[in-house]
Amino acid sequence: MALTITCPVCGKRNGYEFKYGGEEKGPRPEEKDLNPQAWCEYVHMNKCVAGVQEEWWFHKDGCGSWFTILRDTTTNLEQEKKEAKK
Amino acid sequence: MKDIKRVSPVVLKSTPVKTENRNNWEIVMGYKGEGDGPYLIDLTHKQRFDYQDSNLGGQKPFNINIPEIPGNSVLDKKILMNRMNNTQASIYNFGKEDIAMPEDSGFTDVTEATLFVALVGKNIFSICEKLTSLDFLNPEKKAPFLFQGPFSHVPCQIVTLSKNLENHGLVLTCSRGYGRDMIHAILDAGKEFGLKPAGEERFNHFVSEL
Amino acid sequence: MMNRLDHMPTLKIDGFRKIGFIYKKKKYYGVEGDTVATALYANGIRIFARSLKYHRPRGLYSLDGECSNTCMEVDNIPNVRCENTLLKEGMVIKEQNVKGSAENDMMSFIDKMDWMMPAGFYYNTMHKPASIWPIAMKQIRKAAGLGTLSPDFEMPGIYDEIFPTTDVCIIGGGPSGMMAAVAAAKKGLRVIIMEARPWLGGFFEYRSSQYKPGKDKGSQSLHDRALELDREVNALENIRVFTHTSMVGAYNNNLITGFQIGKESDLFDQRYIEIRAKSVVVATGCIERPLIFDNNERPGVMQIGCALRLANTYGLLPGQKAVFSIGHDLGLEAALELSSLGLNIELIADIREDGQNPELLQKLEDKNITLLKGWVACKANGKKRVKNVELSSIDGLASKTVSCDLIVASAGMTPVTGPVTIAQGKLKYDAHTGFFLADKLPEKIHVTGRLLGLDNPLSIETSGTIAGLQAALDCENCSIKEIGDIKKSLKNLPGPTRGTKLVTAPVKGRKSFICFDEDTTIKNIKQAIEKGFDVPELIKRFTSAGTGPGQGGIPGHNLPLYVAKYQALPDISIKPTTTRPPLVPTLLSTYAGTNHIMLKQTPMDKMQREDGGIFRNIGVWQRARYFSNDLTCKKEIENIRSNVGMLDASTLGKFRIHGPDALKALQRVFVSDMSKVQQGRMKYSAMCNDDGCVIDDGVITKLGENDYYFTTSTGRAGQTVEWIRYHTRYDKWNFHIVNLTDSMGVINLAGPNARKVLAKIVDMDISNEAFGFSEYKEFNIKDCIPVRAMRLGFVGELSYELHVPSSYMLSVWLMLKDAGKEFRIQNFGVEAQNVLRMEKCHIILGQESEQRTNLLDVGLEFLWDRTKADAKTIGAVALSQAEKDKDRFKLVGFKMEENGRAPHDGSLIVDEKVRGYVCTARDSFSLNEAVGMALVDGPLSKIGTRLEIYEDECNGKRIYGKVVEMPFYDPEGSRMKM
Repeated sequence: MALTITCPVCGKRNGYEFKYGGEEKGPRPEEKDLNPQAWCEYVHMNKCVAGVQEEWWFHKDGCGSWFTILRDTTTNLEQEKKEAKK
Repeated sequence: MKDIKRVSPVVLKSTPVKTENRNNWEIVMGYKGEGDGPYLIDLTHKQRFDYQDSNLGGQKPFNINIPEIPGNSVLDKKILMNRMNNTQASIYNFGKEDIAMPEDSGFTDVTEATLFVALVGKNIFSICEKLTSLDFLNPEKKAPFLFQGPFSHVPCQIVTLSKNLENHGLVLTCSRGYGRDMIHAILDAGKEFGLKPAGEERFNHFVSEL
Repeated sequence: MMNRLDHMPTLKIDGFRKIGFIYKKKKYYGVEGDTVATALYANGIRIFARSLKYHRPRGLYSLDGECSNTCMEVDNIPNVRCENTLLKEGMVIKEQNVKGSAENDMMSFIDKMDWMMPAGFYYNTMHKPASIWPIAMKQIRKAAGLGTLSPDFEMPGIYDEIFPTTDVCIIGGGPSGMMAAVAAAKKGLRVIIMEARPWLGGFFEYRSSQYKPGKDKGSQSLHDRALELDREVNALENIRVFTHTSMVGAYNNNLITGFQIGKESDLFDQRYIEIRAKSVVVATGCIERPLIFDNNERPGVMQIGCALRLANTYGLLPGQKAVFSIGHDLGLEAALELSSLGLNIELIADIREDGQNPELLQKLEDKNITLLKGWVACKANGKKRVKNVELSSIDGLASKTVSCDLIVASAGMTPVTGPVTIAQGKLKYDAHTGFFLADKLPEKIHVTGRLLGLDNPLSIETSGTIAGLQAALDCENCSIKEIGDIKKSLKNLPGPTRGTKLVTAPVKGRKSFICFDEDTTIKNIKQAIEKGFDVPELIKRFTSAGTGPGQGGIPGHNLPLYVAKYQALPDISIKPTTTRPPLVPTLLSTYAGTNHIMLKQTPMDKMQREDGGIFRNIGVWQRARYFSNDLTCKKEIENIRSNVGMLDASTLGKFRIHGPDALKALQRVFVSDMSKVQQGRMKYSAMCNDDGCVIDDGVITKLGENDYYFTTSTGRAGQTVEWIRYHTRYDKWNFHIVNLTDSMGVINLAGPNARKVLAKIVDMDISNEAFGFSEYKEFNIKDCIPVRAMRLGFVGELSYELHVPSSYMLSVWLMLKDAGKEFRIQNFGVEAQNVLRMEKCHIILGQESEQRTNLLDVGLEFLWDRTKADAKTIGAVALSQAEKDKDRFKLVGFKMEENGRAPHDGSLIVDEKVRGYVCTARDSFSLNEAVGMALVDGPLSKIGTRLEIYEDECNGKRIYGKVVEMPFYDPEGSRMKM
């Protein structure tokens, strides 16, 4: 409830306006010659950092953009970052 | 056509005293006992367009410059243009006459997709405070400005048109299906401030004073 | 004027305005401004309730609701804190936890049975032998808990909610809070003050002593100063004051929650307040630390503030003859004030040997009031209320007994640190004041006034200004230098005063209560320590001290002090127990607030209700499920198979996707080759997730170059934009999505007569040749209403899906009804549709699938195009893997054996183990037999396999079906193509 997230379009808002989209893992791998193991790693394996991680959020009640933030998973506080992806 | 009429999802229980027919809508211009505000005004019959383009900044629909920064709005010739994000703007036509949607395929007529109401008069931000944590009175926000966020738990576009004490006003859109419950929530929240339904004339007057 | 003191400026009552209420079926009167508790006290009521465990008589003690002593049933609501509840006309008040009355409680004998109930006796006794538990449980359940609720109780009252945003939120409207507010507001910031009492002023407000003692500063009293600050606060427009508002929670990023109790003029009884602040100042001040001695909670024993406020705020002299046993100058000050109001002070016992304010000592001497230094109350005598008090010197050497009807007892002060703790601040013991003070504070939270241990009014105010400026600094509206300057001036003012540390008089403690709510005695604490519990947090759990409604307001400070002392620890490194939200008891209905239910209606909602539709909530929508009380929908189904009907399908997700890369996005999310989507035709396809599990299905058509229109299932519509954007988030593609779900209502006009009905309202050729199956057309009805029409066959009959602008839906509906009159057109609901499509074996996701069901399992592999690897279609990689697994669930159709009835949806398919489950099964009127679809283990999917079905509560009686070909109805599909 108390988490706040800074949307690059709408600014700082209550966390419940957003939906979590998982850790930042980079783009989908090319499918040619992709072995199932590598695919599963990409889709299902997470780092589960205790500390600051880059992660995706969707502003579902707001502007509808996907973006990443840096969040400290131990305090549930957002960290400022220089350039946000969109 | 006689047997064709358009229906707003907004149902207000007051008694209309003056109506106008436009484009198959029967529009209530004034209600009995509107009081002296705040007012809730149904604008669902007014046109709304969605405009999306990857190069939004370079466009000038209706000869109006689209605001550069998302969250900013501009009201010009009764057309309100709201920058939603990098590639999207919403356009509301406050005028009585419909305007033709530009040919550009980036436009979509979304008049039918949303409920459209105005809150005008004193204490409207106190009413809003009961329904959302969005901070309308943030001094950094200069009217007109757009909020995209939850209002009574439903995602809405809310454009604050004036924060002048004399002339508070905002317009709100949300998914049309929420019509009944949204109106109920707003009227319920507004009860303690004497919020009453009002006709379109109140809004037209309000806009003309801006 | 009712027997009240009437001359003090501090009074908050209007003695001329009587308020009637009912107490124990008799009418009593209080006055305006009274709380329930003070009104009862004015009427001579001294025993308000009986205690939880021992049924001891309990009375007024703190007047701020730190204990449950005065919890009563008010207007049928149990556990109302009477000290915090303003009296209203006609209130009906009852005692709680009594058999008989509070005055004569038949359960009071339990007080003598305390030896049977040592600390932790539940854990120790009730399980041996095990057979005793069911019997014991019944008795304990009867005895336990405070207040009663009937099962059909409905909470009365109006509950409101607000969500303000502010720069600075100040918790506590006492002198330091008000100073902080003024300082921050003068920096141009928006400020909110939350004050638990109905007025500002804190502990200045009810005191008539000099604001600046000893100095020649006119005759301003603390009360006057409080009013002055109040005016200053109210003059600033950017300060918002919430009085009668308790703060109950503090969360990340300075989210502060609380609730306000409505005034007579407010439209709400209570309202939930959720404040997002940039900075927070905790200015909660002090309460008193209870003095513990034998029978220290007997009616007639009360704290200093309680006695003083009864007189100064409510005009009630708390007793006739009083003995004070105190450890703080406030006690001396109160004794002087109460004495001048007419209270006989027999004696003051002060814990302190020295350190009293000499000015106060002089005044006591002038008034001939005896002060015994180094003395303390040991025992209050009197069965139901105080008759006399036994006092002793702290060392226990000398003692004396004094008769009295009032014992004003207080060991010292204790700062209200709850807000700091729940905001994740850390406390540390301070040996000078004897307080637990804030040690580590979270970012942008400040403490002030008494939370810094300060006692001097000027120091408290100055610290308030500092806190206000620190908060302004958090908001970048103040300079560090400015704060430094004022900090210097604070250094020149008196700092924290030395506090007392004594917890209990020199007594054994069998009847000395450390926690009133839970009836925990000093003896219980000793028992817990002797059992090996060494830290307060554990002792709290074992003895339940501090777990009552007061949230540690009574034992919070005493428990760690006592535990440290009893264990002979060299210093008090022991941490106080943790407080958690809600800090004060909060009604669930307050948290629920206005509780607006937000559901969507379709544009046909009203018409369908008028036609007798029976509605159900389905996701965010309300939909007509049935149109009669026959829940099998026989008539609705037969009408579609043989005639024509209308279904509201408006809840379908509807989207436009356009832009140069629109096709790429569609290729990514849909499993089919979307480049084959043509103008004028509908294509059915599905979306999978990365595991190949099917999450959505719908139809797509092409509107123009780079321009498509598609539908999704009702449940997925809200997530479609999110889904497509998520899975293209790295691609920088140029495409745009518009959610048109609500902009068009959808009528599914279905049945063999559908064409005849539609033909009557459109001006075009809609013959099978002109408008064939799976085609898409746009046309205007009556040259006016733009309609998008598709020929689809979800229910297995000739049908037209008409997408109509929502505002025109009523008109089109009426036209169709009119046109269909000669065919006796009928409505049909979602359940009828469910049966009709099941007979055709058209699946509904979520019904014929669950989370793990993939595209292949439900037999939709024909949708999957394997040649578009470049598109990186979501789910394709997983589907290639799953294809090799022959043991996966398969969707099969089955018929029941021997004309048996249909099993319930969700029944299990079993042999020795669970092999699958029934998705949907119905007694089919079209086929005259029971059919259904089930997801079963791959090997069971062969045609002809016998399925053993285990229904819930079948008592071991299985029913049987047989796997058959799908679909059951019109396998050639000729009816929907006719």
